[in-house]
Amino acid sequence: MIDNITYDRSVQGHRRVERRLAARVRAVAEAYALLAPSLVGFLLFLVAPIFGVAALSLFDWNLMGAPSFVGLDNYRELAADPEVWRAVLNTIYYVVLNIPAQTVLALLLALALNRRIRGGKVLRVVFVLPWMAMPVALGIIWSWVFDPRYGVVNQALGMVGIDGPNWLTDPAWAMPVIASVNVWQYTGYTMLILLAGLQAIPHTLYEAAAIDGTTPMQRFFMITLPLLRPSLFFVLVTNTIGSFQIFDTVFVMTQGGPGGATDVLNFHIYQQGFQLFRSGYASALAMVLFALILLVTAAQFLYFRKRTVYDFS
Amino acid sequence: MKRIALYLALFAGAVVSVAPYLMTLNSAFKEPAQVLTTPAWEPAFPVTLENFAQVWSQYDMAGFLLHSLVYAGAVTAGQVVFSTMAAYAFGRMSFPGRDVLFWGYLATMMVPQIVTLVPLFLIMREFGLIDTYLGLILPTAFGTPYGIFLVRQYFRTIPRDLESAARIDGAGTLTVLVRVLLPLSRPILATLATITFITTWNTLLWPLIVTNGDATRVVTLGISALKGQHSSQYHLILAAAALALLPLIVIFLLFQRHIVRSIALTGLK
Amino acid sequence: MSRKIAVSAVAAAALLSLAACGGGDGSDSTGGAVTLRYAMWDEVQKPPIEQSIREFEKAHPTIKVQIELNNWNDYWSKLQTQLAGRSAPDVFWDHVSYFPKFSKEGVLTDLAPLIAQDKVDTSIYDAKLAEGWKVDGKVYGLPKDWDTIGLFYSTKALKEAGLTPADLDGLTWNPADGGTFVKALQKLTVDENGKHADEPGFDPKKVKQYGLAMQAPTGQQDWWNFALQNGCTLQDKPWGRWTIDQPACVQAIQFVQDLRLKYHVAVPATVTNPPNGPSLDQVVGRGEAAAAMDGSWMLRAFDTALPGGGFGVADLPAGPIGKGSVYNGLTEAVYAGTKHPKEAWELLKWLTSERHQKAVAQAGAVWPGIPSLNDVFADAWKAKGVDVTGFKKAAEGTTMGYPLTEAADVYNVKALDIFNQVWLGQLSPQNAAQKITTEANAAIK
Repeated sequence: MIDNITYDRSVQGHRRVERRLAARVRAVAEAYALLAPSLVGFLLFLVAPIFGVAALSLFDWNLMGAPSFVGLDNYRELAADPEVWRAVLNTIYYVVLNIPAQTVLALLLALALNRRIRGGKVLRVVFVLPWMAMPVALGIIWSWVFDPRYGVVNQALGMVGIDGPNWLTDPAWAMPVIASVNVWQYTGYTMLILLAGLQAIPHTLYEAAAIDGTTPMQRFFMITLPLLRPSLFFVLVTNTIGSFQIFDTVFVMTQGGPGGATDVLNFHIYQQGFQLFRSGYASALAMVLFALILLVTAAQFLYFRKRTVYDFS
Repeated sequence: MKRIALYLALFAGAVVSVAPYLMTLNSAFKEPAQVLTTPAWEPAFPVTLENFAQVWSQYDMAGFLLHSLVYAGAVTAGQVVFSTMAAYAFGRMSFPGRDVLFWGYLATMMVPQIVTLVPLFLIMREFGLIDTYLGLILPTAFGTPYGIFLVRQYFRTIPRDLESAARIDGAGTLTVLVRVLLPLSRPILATLATITFITTWNTLLWPLIVTNGDATRVVTLGISALKGQHSSQYHLILAAAALALLPLIVIFLLFQRHIVRSIALTGLK
Repeated sequence: MSRKIAVSAVAAAALLSLAACGGGDGSDSTGGAVTLRYAMWDEVQKPPIEQSIREFEKAHPTIKVQIELNNWNDYWSKLQTQLAGRSAPDVFWDHVSYFPKFSKEGVLTDLAPLIAQDKVDTSIYDAKLAEGWKVDGKVYGLPKDWDTIGLFYSTKALKEAGLTPADLDGLTWNPADGGTFVKALQKLTVDENGKHADEPGFDPKKVKQYGLAMQAPTGQQDWWNFALQNGCTLQDKPWGRWTIDQPACVQAIQFVQDLRLKYHVAVPATVTNPPNGPSLDQVVGRGEAAAAMDGSWMLRAFDTALPGGGFGVADLPAGPIGKGSVYNGLTEAVYAGTKHPKEAWELLKWLTSERHQKAVAQAGAVWPGIPSLNDVFADAWKAKGVDVTGFKKAAEGTTMGYPLTEAADVYNVKALDIFNQVWLGQLSPQNAAQKITTEANAAIK
């Protein structure tokens, strides 16, 4: 750093300092040259829009005519809008359907794969295969799988004498079906992260515990679970934040229906912004979502700071 | 006995993981009437390419795939090049404002896409880039904070000695980056490229807003529109979905080693 | 490995440059030719229109026309995003429910000077259609077509129920007991044991074929018609406030709900609710319903689903105050921000010309915006054995147009959600009517 440079009063020293300064300036210039493209993208397409959305949330504007300043009206409206609360609850419902199921399944799979078993490597790849699928395509496939008449699920249920519901047009079932897409897609992914965490637990711990005559169940609760906590916490937090942003499958499968049963926050913001063209109101909603995610992330950071020291030297 | 139960459970999980893909592919090869009348698990017989031919000829499926390829390809190229450059600056160089900037980058990692949507749309409108490839590509082509973070972390695991040796030999920054660091960073760059390509290929929201014409319609928009038009003509929309998923499966199988490793690493920061 | 990366890098670089060069907006001139974008939402009409446009391109070698098709649910969101993004199609279908907003925001080209300059004879259009698109002497579109609602039925299903087409004419409904309309639909509704809905032992949980199918994102093809026949007006006056909460309207909504949930003669909403439900031609074509209330623009779709005289069209029933149908017409409009105003006007003139509309009518796509061509359309269907003159009679009788309002977005988006709930039985017609009235009125400034 600049202040680290020691000043030398002799002429020779002066030259040396000049040379070092020149080298230093060049190095800084080089650094910024390397950084320039990403900085342009960062400032123009991330930072500016964040300030932009905050500003827009104070206006009423359909993006065509002239915007009109309305102060905090949008925020007042959204606080009293039952549909916003419905969207928040729907989003939370989605997360609740999603995260526990996905995490428990992933943990069970990870525990199974953590044993010495044949084909473990292949199985790992197979389980991650859903992760890369396009949510839009999955929405199409799931709409078919859960088609009341022509879908696999009801056909299979029919074979055992059960009359399956009209999944996607039934408000009670639409959200679970949409959540099942995400569970299917991310269980393998979560499993991999947990498996890595499991493999980092030293074997000697288990061996010592076994000598002490503990049962496998006791070992799981006394060794595995506590030592897996960082990994578990990581997947819980990141998957929760990810789930908060559910959009694609809702857009393709239900458009927020039936009767608003799958109208989640992201879809609601999209609908206000680009179907009803209330861009100011949509921006205010986006600010609320932003604040929610900020809260979750802050919680995550505080938790992790205890354990991980970020190194910026 | 326990062992058998374990294998059975894992096998069931594996079946569930691949079943939607297989059923989709299977049904896409069935005759239209059979898609509705036969169960999804019944093998396609006779096998027909008619559904693919129909989505290919009546809808611009080739165009959708090409537009997505350009979009995802360009974003991936930009991401790899610019993230590497920025990662080198952040990870290996010291300059005033570095830490503040890096924290700024990290902080924006959690900003949901929908938050910046309207302002981003307005920026593109001012640039006259609505309905263009550039409008599609630019927001993510300069390297995302995620990509920069990923590469920077990797750079920091490479011993500095290698770099110093090259410096003593008179190599400049760019030479060091290209000759010394890049060859050692292939795995992480392959991972970044694969993940970026897959993510971009799958993106719906930004293309939905910034492109509305046919000239740049990407495959996510193409097949979701097809679903809107033919919600119950499953033979068509399943064939289209299969075509949209196919490139991903190929890429995944090519790079599966990197993907599996990189996912495993994300939890162990 | 390194080769794989090298190859990928080269491919990516090639794509990047391709993207940079190919970033056109679709209306760039190529080799002196201009490409116009023409947006529409109905796939059924596309083939004959496309064919006629090829004629236009032959006559205008310097103009290429690219059709951009998006279904109704996507069309308005996309078009308005494009208008907001200043990249709208040069020529597009316009609808009366969005026209007020568009004319106010100045996104439509005023055609009046062009009409005067080229001495276009606008007297050939139905005055009722053409007048709606004028504001303060400005003309924002020329008529493309018109439509009314009818009762499409499967001839096979009718025969199996022992009914003749004549039995479907002169039916009446009322809010109390459903009238002869419901009686006829009961005869057309059959359960898995072959019992009809008017017979003892009929199992409403195991219906094989329903009498009627309904599906309407706005209400145009279902409850608006019953509303009109029951003396309900959706607004207190054109450009006024919504009045859907008045009893006559609520009764009409109740009747549509009753057809599904009380009489069990209409396909359940779980099947037909948009956007996931199959279009009604498919529902009738698969034999899940004997008849469907749908618009005249669906004729070609029904002809595909039930070919060779497999379907016919009857009048809608009469309600407590008589017959009536929703009547609507579309226009062709030119985007005010088009880079090719001259060529776009040429295309618009073609699309609203007798020659084009005749070709489209001959293909049986839609009733033309030029009344003298109505017979062409009717004759085209007569040749296929389908009598479509009922639509014309309906248009000449009591009709109701789309409500005129600047808040169409709100009504359209909310109505879809709210009425889907009513048809599912989750919301009472009274509550739904109050909800939509309050919310749509709140959007009126």
